[in-house]
Amino acid sequence: MQGIDAQLFGVLIAQTLKMATPLILAALGGMFSEKSGVVNIGLEGMMLVGAFSAAVATYFTNNPWFGLLVGMLGGAALALLHAIVCVKFKGDHIVSGTGIILLGAGITTIGLDLVWGNTGQSDQVTLLPNVNIPQLEGIPVIGSIFGTLSPIIYLMFGIVIVCWYVLYRTPIGLRIRAAGEDPSTLDTAGINVENIRILAVILSGVLAGLAGAYLSISFEAAFSRGMTSGRGFIALAAMIFGNWTPVGCLIAGLFFGFLASLEIVLQVVLGVGIVTQYGHFIQMIPFVLVIVAIAGIRKSVPPKGIAVPYEKEKRA
Amino acid sequence: MNTSEINVKPKFNLIKFIKSIPKSIMATIDNPTFQRQAIATVGSIVLAMLIAAIVMLMVGYNAGLGFIALIRSSIVQWDRVLFYATPLIFTGLSVALAFRCGLFNIGPEGQVYVGALAATIVGFSVSLPFGIHPIVCLLIGAFVGFLWGFLPGLLKAYRGAHEVVTTMMLSYTAILLTEWLIKNPYDDPTNDNLVQTISILPTAELPKIFGIFLSWALIVAMLVVLCVYFLLNKTVLGYEMRAVGMNLEAAESAGINSKRTVAVSLGLAGALAGMGGAAEILGYHHRFRKDWSVGLGWDGITVAVLGYSNPFGVLFAAIFFGALRVGGNSMQLIAGIPAEMVVLIQGLIVMFVAAPRVISWLQEKGTLELKMISIDKKRGMPHFITLGITLVCSILGFILLSSISVHSPILGGIVILSSLIAIAAFIMLFMQSESGFKLTIAAGIGWAIVALLGIIYAVNILIIGTVFAAILLVFPLLSLLVIDDKKLENGGNE
Amino acid sequence: MKIKKGEVHGLLGENGAGKSTLMHILYGLLSKDSGSGSIKINGEIASLESPQDAIALGVGMVHQHFKLIPPLSVTENVILGSEPVKFEKISLISRALRLLKLLLPIDINGAAKKISQIAKENGLDINPHAKIIDLPVGLQQRVEIIKTLYREAEILILDEPTSVLTPQEVDELFVTLQKFKESGRTIILITHKLREPMLLCDRISVLRDGELVGTVDRKDTSPEELAKMMVGRPVVFELEKIESEIGETVLSLEDVVVEDNRDLEKVKGITLNVRAGEILGIAGVQGNGQTELVEAIAGLRKLKSGKISVNGFDITGGSARFVRSKGVSHIPEDRHKRGLVLGFSIKENLSLGQHHTSPFATGPKDALLDLYEMATRSEVLVDQYSIKIQNIEAAVSTLSGGNQQKIVVARELAAFPKLILAAQPTRGLDVGATEYIRRVLLQRKAEGAAILLISAELDEIRNLSDRIAVIYDGRIVTMKTPDETTPEELGLFMAGHTDVSMEV
Repeated sequence: MQGIDAQLFGVLIAQTLKMATPLILAALGGMFSEKSGVVNIGLEGMMLVGAFSAAVATYFTNNPWFGLLVGMLGGAALALLHAIVCVKFKGDHIVSGTGIILLGAGITTIGLDLVWGNTGQSDQVTLLPNVNIPQLEGIPVIGSIFGTLSPIIYLMFGIVIVCWYVLYRTPIGLRIRAAGEDPSTLDTAGINVENIRILAVILSGVLAGLAGAYLSISFEAAFSRGMTSGRGFIALAAMIFGNWTPVGCLIAGLFFGFLASLEIVLQVVLGVGIVTQYGHFIQMIPFVLVIVAIAGIRKSVPPKGIAVPYEKEKRA
Repeated sequence: MNTSEINVKPKFNLIKFIKSIPKSIMATIDNPTFQRQAIATVGSIVLAMLIAAIVMLMVGYNAGLGFIALIRSSIVQWDRVLFYATPLIFTGLSVALAFRCGLFNIGPEGQVYVGALAATIVGFSVSLPFGIHPIVCLLIGAFVGFLWGFLPGLLKAYRGAHEVVTTMMLSYTAILLTEWLIKNPYDDPTNDNLVQTISILPTAELPKIFGIFLSWALIVAMLVVLCVYFLLNKTVLGYEMRAVGMNLEAAESAGINSKRTVAVSLGLAGALAGMGGAAEILGYHHRFRKDWSVGLGWDGITVAVLGYSNPFGVLFAAIFFGALRVGGNSMQLIAGIPAEMVVLIQGLIVMFVAAPRVISWLQEKGTLELKMISIDKKRGMPHFITLGITLVCSILGFILLSSISVHSPILGGIVILSSLIAIAAFIMLFMQSESGFKLTIAAGIGWAIVALLGIIYAVNILIIGTVFAAILLVFPLLSLLVIDDKKLENGGNE
Repeated sequence: MKIKKGEVHGLLGENGAGKSTLMHILYGLLSKDSGSGSIKINGEIASLESPQDAIALGVGMVHQHFKLIPPLSVTENVILGSEPVKFEKISLISRALRLLKLLLPIDINGAAKKISQIAKENGLDINPHAKIIDLPVGLQQRVEIIKTLYREAEILILDEPTSVLTPQEVDELFVTLQKFKESGRTIILITHKLREPMLLCDRISVLRDGELVGTVDRKDTSPEELAKMMVGRPVVFELEKIESEIGETVLSLEDVVVEDNRDLEKVKGITLNVRAGEILGIAGVQGNGQTELVEAIAGLRKLKSGKISVNGFDITGGSARFVRSKGVSHIPEDRHKRGLVLGFSIKENLSLGQHHTSPFATGPKDALLDLYEMATRSEVLVDQYSIKIQNIEAAVSTLSGGNQQKIVVARELAAFPKLILAAQPTRGLDVGATEYIRRVLLQRKAEGAAILLISAELDEIRNLSDRIAVIYDGRIVTMKTPDETTPEELGLFMAGHTDVSMEV
């Protein structure tokens, strides 16, 4: 019994990490954008585009690392559109975000049809090689977690730290935070607010694209239509839940990832029968828990200057 | 004047109200804000269609056939259009109402599900006379939907819980809950293959109006549009909702109970979505089946956005989306273009709606371009021609892409790159930027490389590459010679 | 206009005269019309396209509405835009790597040290790691000043710096400015008050309607003359107070204690009353609890303890609507935040607050709006208050500040309230609107209303009030009639000196 429990525990942790990684990455992306004052609900679209472009690039070059890069660029490209509409043209952030999601869904499905013919799933693509640590494979718990994991999961932890560093310890991070709290102050300090916001939004696209790429070339080995299945929205919830901070996104993402994996593990523990019978309620637990949690903790406080396009008065 | 002294209170007069409707409509049309929004919307649609057409050309779809199918089917199959529009009216109103109160209801899908199931259950469990039965079902659906929205409303008002999170979570919960309910207590015993409930009683059905799709649900929807309009503009609650949505602190200072208003608003939004679900079941499906509606909630957000959160705007937007959906199916059937193209069009429209300034900016730059031709022929004409060339070359480049890259993916990559640079050149030229000509030349160099590689691969490629390169190199170079290289100050750029 | 090096030059004018605009051009925040004149600094023509250009030329600006970011620390605010980094040398290797500077770690401690040093040298002590949101207003202004010194400004522009300071803090500012003068710095002081230039400036330039009326030496002029230059006509300093009968107590506060949003006590036990037909003016520097007190009376903030009653009715803890139903009106101190819904039309704003009862509401249970009534009454009010508008359906955002405030006042006074809470009712308004509103308040007083007036303008308090109370640190430190006191004495009370025998 001991061995099985430990094994199960390890599987649970591994699964949590796998489910949490795209959520955390996308949430971090959303965080940068919103910290600078641009609401970004279009993460879902950026993730899809990232997933698709990564799959396409990997398919043609057989190089998943190149695919990863292209995935990030794809997400960044769609984010650039959002940035231009919201920042340069003072568009409504939420409306633009809605458009981004639609564009993402439309472009990727049409692209799927163009490249691979059918509108369901792409052909298999080369997976990103998992990080295998043979020495650990024997060890009971740690082995099943770290024995073989996607490199992006490791990367994700590093990215969280880098995001924290950039946001709180560098000049650019200070300026991003200023842009979101009080753009007029930043403007008076002589910094171009628009450029900062555009940069932050593109960054969100890079991270969301990375999250999407993870899905298509590491988590699965192909791109399928709408494969993000709402993860972009859950990432939004994680970002809000994490109160727009890097560590918050990490914890919230892990929490959501954990809840997503719980169902699978419970299936093994409680037996498939019970789970089918009450499976729906088990699946509901995560959602209800989130509601309880968010109702219980203190008020969610977004950056003060969010969603308000900054108009710079240039003429006296 | 002492306001508290007047004691004759004019009573609410239905006749006067109905008489005032034409006047209201005229006032709306005269309203400059409405005019601006209407032009922006029409402009967005036209531009979106244009870009979609270009995209279709580039990737090799039959754009002409596709659009003809789109437009034709939405007129011929008008009953289907209205049928698809009906639930969108409800969810669109749901999201729009919440927006007016400053709230983001991202969970109409779940509210639709619970409302629909509640209505279904009442539809087959109790027996009520025809005429009353559907109304009761609709109201029950609305009530359950109300609860589903009221809870996040309460949490937002009294705990500060962000409604995006709570409505989203409840939405997923609703889908799971309803699925379990139709698998277990309410499962249809006669059919083991499909996960569904039994049919509702015939007395609960909403009768059809036309064909096999369109039912009285549409009439209900349109009545609800009027109700929402009335609520927002003619009632105290609507006034308070709008005040809270625009300036919470001022509303509170004026004595409005913002907490109560927020909770009720989200509740009403849920009720609208719930009733929409009920209407769909009563009018068409007649039973609750697993996954009977997909993406309804999300489309509701798009419809609300396109309708500027205005009840009548939502009505038109919903019908438009219904037309797009019907047209999209037809496009796929007849022209082989994936139905998702419609999603792309929707996305483009929404993007343009998001930033009306894009349209005015385009208009500005476009008229500037044309003005340049008449003012300063020496500069204007070559500029305009180069503009046209870059656009045409980039489109043609994508069209020819598939036949070229058959030979080698590297060739394909360079063609993509050159065409992208040509697009960038087009944009820069359109913006009157100096780098436009340089980018055109760069694109030309790209095609020259293609031509060179064509020597190795195939003669056609050599020819194509040379032609493109020639055009893309010669014209800008000539233009730069004709135009003085000195930067124009006030005459050219604005 | 010419400004001499090393002088304190006052820039005086009414709201809208163009003083701030002119200085924003000097600081690079706004562009002058091309071809219209030139700006020379130290004899050389200056191109001022952005604040960075201005800073490079030694110009620094301390804004009226502080350009500070509350959740960030003093240091972070000061260095924003010119952040010092560690390992800077890496980025200096080549031009291409210059952008890298944005990603290097900020040298927070070094910056903090430098800030402390600058602060000490100029007598502006501050804790560099404190968060702005925790600092009182006077210290926040110090941070603004330090920002300019950090960037080695030689020409300092101060925009209405004394609007948030007590008379004693103004004295301290004077000392600071003297120090700047001694170190050769030039100071431009923008103000619309008459007392400050007389106290602080060497020379004063007066602007009116965007034009320079004249530049005078301080010794050659007087507040009256300056006022005349500002307005173009002799200014009536005192409104004729209408005598009225003082009646029963309308508002009664008993030992009221109120906390702010961060659970700190802001009102620490206030007991006072206001009677019918009288104006009780509460003088005090912003931030001493006036805002929270008014919010508590209006039902917008919960009391921690104490009792409030209106005409005998206990309204402690009542909702805003309940308080209003007892005949209380509230003219909020920030009309954009609390006074108006900018997206609403003029008609809708004029009905705000009364919209839920007759005559504005009608139908079953007063659930429907009577738009006809709303329109009619709005027309009447607009006419009565001489608010120049085209159409009552127009958005209220199209109106000027003065007219917007008139809408708020019109609406609040339309229901003939028994108690009027007027918080900074003439803030930011031009002379015409200010005079009008003050006259309306006096008129209501004569008709028997009780008015609680909160104002940061001592002159306004002295002119309008029957009794004056001074609030300091959440307590009423004195209560006098205008004849019993002087501005200087009031100023002392406002700064917390309760022992009047202190030498003025």
